[in-house]
Amino acid sequence: MATYFVRRLIQAIPIVIGISVISFLIVYLTPGSPVDKFRTPRVSPEMIQNLIRLYGLDQPLPIQFWNWFTHFWSFPWDNLAWGYSFTDGRPVRDKIFQRIPSTLLLMGTSLVVSVIFAIPIGILQAVKQYSWADRLITTFETIGYAMPTFWLGLILKQFFAVNLKWLPLYGQNSLGKQGDIPDMILHLILPVTTLAVVSIAGWSRYMRASMLEVLRQDYVRTARAKGLSSGRVIGRHALRNALIPIVTLLGLTIPSLLSGAAITETVFSWPGLGWLGVQSVGERDYPVVLAVTMIGGMMVIMGNLLADVLYAVVDPRIHY
Amino acid sequence: MASTETIRPGEASPAGATDFDEVDLVSVQTYWQLVRRRFMRNRTAVFGLVLLSILVFSAIFFPFIGGDAWHLTDLTRGPTDPISITAPLGYDNLGINIFFRLMKGLQTSLIIGFFAVLIIAGIGTAFGSISGYVGGKVDNLMMRIVDVVLSLPGFFLILMLVAFIGSVVSPMVVIIVAIGITGWTTAARLVRAEFLRLRESDFVQAARALGASDSRIIIRHMVPSAMAPVLVAATLGIADAVVTEAALSFLGYGIKPPDASLGNMLTGAQDYFYRQPLWIYYPGITLILVVLAASFLGDGLRDALDPRQKLEA
Repeated sequence: MATYFVRRLIQAIPIVIGISVISFLIVYLTPGSPVDKFRTPRVSPEMIQNLIRLYGLDQPLPIQFWNWFTHFWSFPWDNLAWGYSFTDGRPVRDKIFQRIPSTLLLMGTSLVVSVIFAIPIGILQAVKQYSWADRLITTFETIGYAMPTFWLGLILKQFFAVNLKWLPLYGQNSLGKQGDIPDMILHLILPVTTLAVVSIAGWSRYMRASMLEVLRQDYVRTARAKGLSSGRVIGRHALRNALIPIVTLLGLTIPSLLSGAAITETVFSWPGLGWLGVQSVGERDYPVVLAVTMIGGMMVIMGNLLADVLYAVVDPRIHY
Repeated sequence: MASTETIRPGEASPAGATDFDEVDLVSVQTYWQLVRRRFMRNRTAVFGLVLLSILVFSAIFFPFIGGDAWHLTDLTRGPTDPISITAPLGYDNLGINIFFRLMKGLQTSLIIGFFAVLIIAGIGTAFGSISGYVGGKVDNLMMRIVDVVLSLPGFFLILMLVAFIGSVVSPMVVIIVAIGITGWTTAARLVRAEFLRLRESDFVQAARALGASDSRIIIRHMVPSAMAPVLVAATLGIADAVVTEAALSFLGYGIKPPDASLGNMLTGAQDYFYRQPLWIYYPGITLILVVLAASFLGDGLRDALDPRQKLEA
């Protein structure tokens, strides 16, 4: 297991380099140059030339990449490592680290909520296959899965925040209530619901399929034949194996949560990493954009790794 | 597609022939005839096809008869005007006919969905077929490239490309290309898997024995046989592409007004939450219909194209 983990980590290195090269190239090849904003009549051309030399923009592309790459991975990161934001001059590292807790809170809560709902719903559907309940839930799942997150967010906002005025419209805290937990929970409800509806719709379908597959197997029939109660057969015998594919799915959805969260965070002005990314793209704040893309890529790699490791942990039939 | 025809005598006889001696009289059904029959029996799939056809027809027909109605402002009209047969959804705050704007937005979405999926299928097929056919070290290297592309934060990358390059080139083209170059990995993996299976099959061996060149074997013999999973992935991909475009435009980076898109119509409707609560439903429901139609059709095609699925007569 340990050697497998190490091998997977080593395999991830070329992927990390690949992501770095592609992210760097996209930012590098965009029209315009970082010094363009200094090009005003009050700044002399010599000054611009000095800035270009200062930022190393006159050096060949591979050297620029190497400078950026080695700085980006210079652990522990100092203020200089990820550069300074173009918009407010703060170190990119601080801007990113400040947003991470909010994103983790939103993603974690919606993950937990999704699992709590999706697994029992899927089991119910599998056990009562083709019943009216199963058909009804399947219809809802199909619609829920087809619903774009940003539209669902808007509908929820319109209904619960604008019409009923039950819940706050946006943000993480009301003005002047920074760090107030009950206030934050109120603010969490709508974005979490938005993210959870779509993942519940997807995961309960998987859970249903996986449970149906397991319920057909011989050992379940044996358990039933032994005279065990149906609750025990489903809860203890079938559920354990039915959960295996779901655990893998969990790891694989972690990265997609970032992009899903980017849209949801923007709709609800939730101060997380995704919203920071969307904002920075609009402001052409290249150092921040680059850092967010790299972190997004890292999350994908970690998610895949986590999925494989969890798979081996929960399924004793798998050996690496 | 001659190479994929499988002859299945005895199945689905029209007269219900059970007598063994009558087997010769039974009409022979080709693979594609069986696919059509399996597809037509699947009610959800047929519904998806019909729905998608209606949507495509509307997206061509209504912008055509509407002419410039989708962007012409008329300050004598407004949201309070009664709905009529020429404006079934009324007029927006600028006096633009909402229905025609919605149809123009649908057209934009479907064009983007179609061409993005075309790029996905094109790159995916080319990449996957070479990787699967050549094998060995080349295959290994090409699959690592797939791993890298798969690990990129896709939506974010598309957002960057559209925001940075969309101001120079037409945003529609950038969206299509961005979705295309980030989304081809699944198609490539599917084609590669098919090629690994087909490489050792009899008809490919036969073609090789007859002296056919590699490119002829790939293009004429193997690609047509490997197309089924790509067709399914492409159909399902339409839904993803349409939603991605809507999300980009909604966030203000994709198609910008005065051009119409389902996404930027939503952004506009957001300002009228109180007074015109229905406005966010028009583009939203249209979007859901496109996604549902594409996924029903895609799932139906997957079931119909699977030769292991038996059709009881």
